[in-house]
Amino acid sequence: MKFSFYKSSLVVMVSIFLFSCSKDGTPDSAAANSTGKAGSLSKFAIAGNYLYAVDNTQLYTYDITDPANPIQTNTSFLGFAIETIYPFNNRLFIGTTTGMFIYSIDVPAAPVQVGSASHVRSCDPVVANDSIAFVTLKGNSSCGPAVSGLYVHDIRNVFAPQLIKTLELPSPEGLALEGGILYICCNNDGLKVFNVLNPANPIEIRTVTGAYFKDVIPYGDLLICYVSTGIILYDISDPTNPVMLKLIENA
Amino acid sequence: MVFFSNSPAMRLLLLLLILFSITSCWTRNSRPRFIDPHVHVWGNKPVYAARTEAKTISYLDSALPVIVPGNIYAKGNFIYQLEIGKGIHVIDKTNPAQAERIGFITVNGSSQISIKDNYLYTNNYDDLVVIDISNSNSVSVVKRVAGAFPEGASNYFYIEPIESGYYECPRYDSVVVAWVKDSIWTSCSKN
Repeated sequence: MKFSFYKSSLVVMVSIFLFSCSKDGTPDSAAANSTGKAGSLSKFAIAGNYLYAVDNTQLYTYDITDPANPIQTNTSFLGFAIETIYPFNNRLFIGTTTGMFIYSIDVPAAPVQVGSASHVRSCDPVVANDSIAFVTLKGNSSCGPAVSGLYVHDIRNVFAPQLIKTLELPSPEGLALEGGILYICCNNDGLKVFNVLNPANPIEIRTVTGAYFKDVIPYGDLLICYVSTGIILYDISDPTNPVMLKLIENA
Repeated sequence: MVFFSNSPAMRLLLLLLILFSITSCWTRNSRPRFIDPHVHVWGNKPVYAARTEAKTISYLDSALPVIVPGNIYAKGNFIYQLEIGKGIHVIDKTNPAQAERIGFITVNGSSQISIKDNYLYTNNYDDLVVIDISNSNSVSVVKRVAGAFPEGASNYFYIEPIESGYYECPRYDSVVVAWVKDSIWTSCSKN
């Protein structure tokens, strides 16, 4: 009984959280929202008045209070093969080929590592909110031997992330979280749309096919997809049902 | 080096070694394929543009085709997409159904992007540069942090020679404008 109460309250908590922040990412709404949105494969991230950049092994912090004049405040050694950086509130989520690192930016000028979740060598972008981190691992000859799929970590205790779900997926790459919906680019296997209101049990709603999907940005009512042949824009007035508006072809 | 050229078996071993070293360091981001050991052979040698060109950042007010696509970024009415090692495509999505590329910011050696207000952050090889994008038909560099990403220098992207075989790995801080046949030390190879 205790366990199920705990579980259902977690679902409620997460749902409330997800719904409450579903408008946070809406662009053009507030003048204060002066930064844009990056895809999940990015190595640059802006949080507040700071620019965080990763290269192979280091995390560089720049104060951009005056955006025209970045001033370096910190350099941290992270390890090898850093792939992506994703900011959420007072955290940075850093995807590497061997695991996910969580950094606290409570002191934004000097990030400190608080937690990590290591895994078998693979390629792995990450998106997150306050309680859950979603990581896609792409195991193959170039990335490493991990089983490809979605890995869901409970990060309410950031010092000790708990793997609560793994879901095998073909060639997952970029991903994005918007409200209770998770979009996952699975290369030739399409763009998969999941309901993750209960993050321990993602429910696949549909798969959009017709392109080789690499990365994705939800931007208001628009879903921007980076595919091998160009960029595809979908209308996501109904977030569970992307409707294609335009393919901007590479050539 | 005689060791490697003596017998067909040794050549096969060398080939396997090369193939292994290629696949072992191949990542999603197509990093340079460094070859070891170094051997003197006939192969492709890079021809570089003048040094100033490598660090010149400019805006082209018309669309270019996407050859080596990279990260995407969205802000306001625009989408930006990296052209790996070359610069940033600008896409107008004011009317999504008619969205199209409208311009190109030339930033050689670039691979990343972020934006705050009207300032775009990217890398010009291993330099961090801040580009003022407030003007719709020109850009200007307002700050350059030289050597900001020393580790990232080894991630520099470039276009390989068209033909397969050995070529000299290009310097990471220079623009390759062409390839010529010459006697080179093997440092890179293309399948």
